[in-house]
Amino acid sequence: MVRACCLRFPKRCLPVAELGPITCAGCALLCDDVRIERSGVDLRLEPRCDLGAEWFGERVAGAQEAPAATIRGEAADVGAALTRAAELLRGARRPLLHGFDQATVDDARAAVALADRLGALIATDGLGGTWPGAPAVPLRGASTATLGEIRDRSRVVVIWREDPESTHPRLLQRLGFGDSSSSRLGADRTLVVVDNRATATVRRADLHLRWPRERDLDALTSLHVMQRKLQARPSGLEDELGQLLDQIGAVPHAAFVHGAGLSAGAGGQRRVLALHELVRELSHDRHVVTLALPGAAGIRSAQDVLAWQTGYSDNVDLASGHPELVTATESLPADEGVDVSLCVEGGGDELGDSVTQIVLASRPRQDVEVSIRTAAAGVASTGTAHRLDGVPLTLQAPEPGHAPTAAALLGRLLEELER
Amino acid sequence: MTAIRITGGAIHDPANEIDGEVRDLCLDGGKVVADVGPDARRIDARGMVVMPGGVDIHAHIAGPKVNAARRLSPDDRRDDPLDRTAILRSGTGGLVPSTFATGYRYSLLGYTTVIEAAAPPLAARHVLAELRDTPMIDKAFLILMGNNQVLFELIRESRGAVSSRLRDAIAWWLEATGGYGVKLVNPGGVELWKQDNGYIESIDDHVAGFEVTPRQVLEAIGGAVDELGLPHPVHIHANNLGTAGNADTTLETMRTLSGRQTHFAHLQFHCYGGKPGGQPRSRAPELLDHLSAHPEITADVGQVMFGPAMTMTADAHVSELLRDLTHGKWINHDTEVETGCGIVPYTYRAGNYVHALQWGIGLELFLLGKDPWQVMLSTDHPNGGSFLSYPKLIRLLMDRAYREDQMGRASQKAIRRTALPDGLDREYTLNEIAIITRAAPARRLGLRDKGHLGVGADADVTVYNDRDDREEMFATPRYVIKGGEVAVDDGDLRRVDDGLLLSSTAAFDPEVSDVLAPLFGERYTVAFEHYPVHDPVLREPAQIVEASK
Repeated sequence: MVRACCLRFPKRCLPVAELGPITCAGCALLCDDVRIERSGVDLRLEPRCDLGAEWFGERVAGAQEAPAATIRGEAADVGAALTRAAELLRGARRPLLHGFDQATVDDARAAVALADRLGALIATDGLGGTWPGAPAVPLRGASTATLGEIRDRSRVVVIWREDPESTHPRLLQRLGFGDSSSSRLGADRTLVVVDNRATATVRRADLHLRWPRERDLDALTSLHVMQRKLQARPSGLEDELGQLLDQIGAVPHAAFVHGAGLSAGAGGQRRVLALHELVRELSHDRHVVTLALPGAAGIRSAQDVLAWQTGYSDNVDLASGHPELVTATESLPADEGVDVSLCVEGGGDELGDSVTQIVLASRPRQDVEVSIRTAAAGVASTGTAHRLDGVPLTLQAPEPGHAPTAAALLGRLLEELER
Repeated sequence: MTAIRITGGAIHDPANEIDGEVRDLCLDGGKVVADVGPDARRIDARGMVVMPGGVDIHAHIAGPKVNAARRLSPDDRRDDPLDRTAILRSGTGGLVPSTFATGYRYSLLGYTTVIEAAAPPLAARHVLAELRDTPMIDKAFLILMGNNQVLFELIRESRGAVSSRLRDAIAWWLEATGGYGVKLVNPGGVELWKQDNGYIESIDDHVAGFEVTPRQVLEAIGGAVDELGLPHPVHIHANNLGTAGNADTTLETMRTLSGRQTHFAHLQFHCYGGKPGGQPRSRAPELLDHLSAHPEITADVGQVMFGPAMTMTADAHVSELLRDLTHGKWINHDTEVETGCGIVPYTYRAGNYVHALQWGIGLELFLLGKDPWQVMLSTDHPNGGSFLSYPKLIRLLMDRAYREDQMGRASQKAIRRTALPDGLDREYTLNEIAIITRAAPARRLGLRDKGHLGVGADADVTVYNDRDDREEMFATPRYVIKGGEVAVDDGDLRRVDDGLLLSSTAAFDPEVSDVLAPLFGERYTVAFEHYPVHDPVLREPAQIVEASK
């Protein structure tokens, strides 16, 4: 089915080439039913997803343009770049491994192995600590479900201050909303959106609740109090909260979708905790689940690997010779005195000037000390990644490339350091 | 690979009817051999006890629920770190250790094979990846099939009978996932839980929306596994776990599968008399009578040990009950089409009537059971307690005075409602311990080269100092040999072995894919063609055990 030449030599394959079904790692949904149509330089995904098309397009173009490696912005061969990276890591006082936006399970395994060897700090939730759910879950737990459970059982789905139409464009479709609905429940379902912004997701809402973000904790705790039939402190939100509870109270199964809109910034952990406590309360007389939206495709994989290899998720410090859990702060590198960082398939974490940076990524950077181009997982290399709900999926390589994977480079770095 | 001669040890190899005979044991090429040359390494085992490596037939060590439990319990592991060394990866322990720590600690305990007893097939890639990172032991996993909507459709179609389509589907699923056997957890009940917190009261209740009953699921899948001749029979976590009066359900489940090879998991949790909602009492003797009359049934005990535990189960309804008892941490996770999951940290207290009764029932199962080949050791790790508590459990079985001391610390009201105070003076012998911890589990798993020390067996051997304190003895083996290499010497890990993945395979008609594909399309959010795991990096190195039919 997959005809790699179609992507590599698009102009030879006019007018239309089709690949698939393959898994798209353009966002954490990891849709694995994607077919790519390519006509000349135009690339289209079916089912349609502009974000996915852009993601594929950038990586196909990137593979053709970027040098294999750079040292201080100058083209270098991969061996020399690895040697320089190993030198930096060997001399590092406080190394940091981070990124993982596009990491596979094997990338994360190799990264944790290297971090263990180095006694490094490893951060998987972005350096600002914005990944939803994890910081709050160890406190009380959570009720969660895979996409299919929500699609086929939840008659009410509440999107809490997220805009998946922009960030995870096929989420609503995959949860069974819309014309191409595939839910076994049919059309008799309600989409509730909590947001005071005018977003594309808000436009899809059957019920739109619009209090501002700073009222979220108040709203969640008030909902909890109202559900328990206790005397609520006046919040001014009673009408809207009552509508939401009425919707949920009328169905046997409901779901909440949340993300950085709830968890990011000061008080995020408390807000997420309040959501899980509300869900727990609602669960006494119906089935209620949550779904967290990570910001990038590789984060769930990295978090899962870190948890099984160290026992801890999110941010882990291996400097003492064993894993220690680190609570995310506003600025992890600065707080921890990081001097050398190794970014694995990462995005755009901001690091201070005092940090010497090494980057392994399919979209390399020239403004760092060492950068090595990797094969983009899901485009140029295969692998396994964990979908936002934890379901592991295989990534295909519709355009196999010659660049090494991040896992392979990390393995070579480990060998170099152990020499 | 170095040849080894273990000399002067007392061999306990019940599968070959050797009970403490002092003789040499020779290992070469990863196998037990008749003899080795004069250059072989000699291990002086005089005054020591030599057994096959331990085989854990039922534990929870890998996969999404285990990993969720790790994430839920950072406090549990903070004081139990494992430092990296030149050959070992770092990790953390606690009730749910990290993967490397799990492998190391099982090995340090003398275990060489462990079965992950409940894995969602949809998560096979995750389970396999964790098992790959669990060194030192050979390992396998059982796939959850008791609440699989696709199989429900096939069972409805056959009106509860075993059909060739169902047999083919089960064999396809094993092939697709790398699983070793089939696990049924609260058949039908987990589906009801996921619908609207519903539950099963009787195995003849209907599963809403599917026109099947738990009894039909048991008959059809249990029968299909039996007919396929898989190396391990259907592994059952019966309906109504933990509920007062559930012994009726358990007995009815056993009768339903009468005449078919069956293994019942953590039987202790399914032995309760009394009325639902009321105080339980023990009905272990009745269950044991049934086992005695039905040699085709085996069980592992699922002993609870006083102290902290981490309950984790596909039977998520049970977790809801525990959540409301503890008011503590709780995880629920629903996996589409296939199963559920619940996790609640829990503490068993000696002074608590129910906990002490559970403890006593477990001991009844061990001590009243007539045939140790039928009733095997487990704590349902970490549900009844950590696998690290096995040495203490062994001491409870081997040392009557110690057991009576422990009984004296437990709720006397509960203990009086068991057979324990009735002069139950049985003390397990070393050979009986060897049966319940290696020989019987290996035989029941169909692992012909494990659990014994006959020529041709895997060279997985544990050598213990023969100490009066059996807990200390079994906690600190003198040597552990895995695959013919010394892995543990005097309490230190000396060599890291990846261990093998054990999978089973049975023939099936490949055209079953034509039946399954549309059912997948209707129900899963994963494409049918992407569901099977073929990646060699996840499936190898493996030992494939073929079905016998």
